[in-house]
Amino acid sequence: MDLLKKSLINAINNILRNKLINFLCLGIISFTLLTLGIFNYISYNLEIFTQNFSKNVEAIFYLKNDVKEKEIKAQISKIKESLLIDEIIYKSRDEAETNFLAQFPELRYILSEFDKSPFPSSIEIKFKQKESNLTTKIISFIEDIEKSDIIESKQVNIDWAKKVLYIKKFISITGIFLSGILFFVSIFIIYNVIKLNILYRKEEIDILQFVGATDWYIKFPFIIEGALMGLLGGLIAGFLLIISIKLIPSYSDFISNMLKEIISFKKIPLKILIRLLFFGTIIGLISSLFSLKKFFKN
Amino acid sequence: MIGFYHVYKQYIKDSYAIYDINLSIESGEFYFLTGASGAGKTTLLKLIYKEELPTKGQILIDSVNINLIPRKKLYRLRRKIGIVFQDFKLLNNRTVYENIAIPLVVRGYRKSYIDKMVKNSLSLVGLNHRKNYITSHISGGEQQRVAIARAIAGNPKIIIADEPTGNLDTELSIEILKIFEKINNNGVTVLIATHDNNLIKMFTKKTIELKQGNLVSYPSMEEQQWIY
Repeated sequence: MDLLKKSLINAINNILRNKLINFLCLGIISFTLLTLGIFNYISYNLEIFTQNFSKNVEAIFYLKNDVKEKEIKAQISKIKESLLIDEIIYKSRDEAETNFLAQFPELRYILSEFDKSPFPSSIEIKFKQKESNLTTKIISFIEDIEKSDIIESKQVNIDWAKKVLYIKKFISITGIFLSGILFFVSIFIIYNVIKLNILYRKEEIDILQFVGATDWYIKFPFIIEGALMGLLGGLIAGFLLIISIKLIPSYSDFISNMLKEIISFKKIPLKILIRLLFFGTIIGLISSLFSLKKFFKN
Repeated sequence: MIGFYHVYKQYIKDSYAIYDINLSIESGEFYFLTGASGAGKTTLLKLIYKEELPTKGQILIDSVNINLIPRKKLYRLRRKIGIVFQDFKLLNNRTVYENIAIPLVVRGYRKSYIDKMVKNSLSLVGLNHRKNYITSHISGGEQQRVAIARAIAGNPKIIIADEPTGNLDTELSIEILKIFEKINNNGVTVLIATHDNNLIKMFTKKTIELKQGNLVSYPSMEEQQWIY
């Protein structure tokens, strides 16, 4: 506990002593984490958007004309097995005609030319709203049903959400890729800053070694310093993310209403902020451990 | 206590800094290590506290073959030895107290024990009145005394000093050596490297003499008895 307290004080003193280099370092970590945060935030909003979108999803499967009643019942039973389903309605060809006439009575003369109902029978499905990751599951479920031999065609209002999901996937991958590169850049920079700090305090380290300090006693303050730097970077990135999200909608005219609908620009989920702090600390820890390993090896 | 058995140290090819040294220093003894500059005095001391590794040969400290001590366990050896350097190696932005307390702090002792031990060390070197001074604000002689106090603070079995009087005038040098004598009287083995023959003559102690890495003078048992 005493060592932790001393190490913390040492780390803060070191950060303050080499202000320029440490603040530059903090800036780079913050930039890395801010990039990670922005991509995370956009990805999160797209996820929420698609989830909200799926609340009103309905799918109508139109059946082929020569389908037997037994096959229809089997298909309905299969659909009912899914936990995603809230309601399922089968409409025969005659029911479809009745519905049409109820809605468009003035078009009765067109139907009078047909011997049988020209409308196909259909299965209408309404989905539950409380399932997590619903959109992806619904898309996969619909694609599965569509493969059935008795289905002629489908009408689903989820195609747009499907595209949004693709965009989300693309943004996530881009975010991971960019953050990954910046992650390594940050590690390299903190590694060198810690190395400089170690060299700056080489005389002190030598003295500690001569008087019988353990390696751990000497290393610990530098590890704390790295972790603290990363944590501070995470805090700054989180703060900048909150400020950006709050300010962008007020000052940017170019953000269309559609974008505003997708990205809320209001609340940043706590998990994103915690993720920034976590990754910041990890970056700092890895860098300082690498630096120390090299120093003690030499 | 300290044993060298056919110890060689080579930094560059075909040239030995230490050549086939055999010596034995018993517990509680006081030795001067002398020789001209470049004779190998510092190298020999560095081999004792494992700052350097021998090219060949074995070194025993307190019955432990130090060649076999892994890097991670090196602190155990260092805690047995108090080292005093010619350039003091003090932390100049810290107080006298803080410098002396370092060996105790790294061992994780309690504050009350550290206070007691620092006080004892300060009394031995006569620096109680400088306790709270920043080390860079005191004189060279006082800084060397702080370095000695730091070396003895951790209760070592051996004190090694590399030219501890190299930067001091004769009067101060005598004062410093008297402190080492006091430490030795408490049972601590003392080995001091110096090229100052006048000091060696003044303090009748056993002497090891090196010349170009070779041991040229090492007291035999008869000589040792004559000294005492």
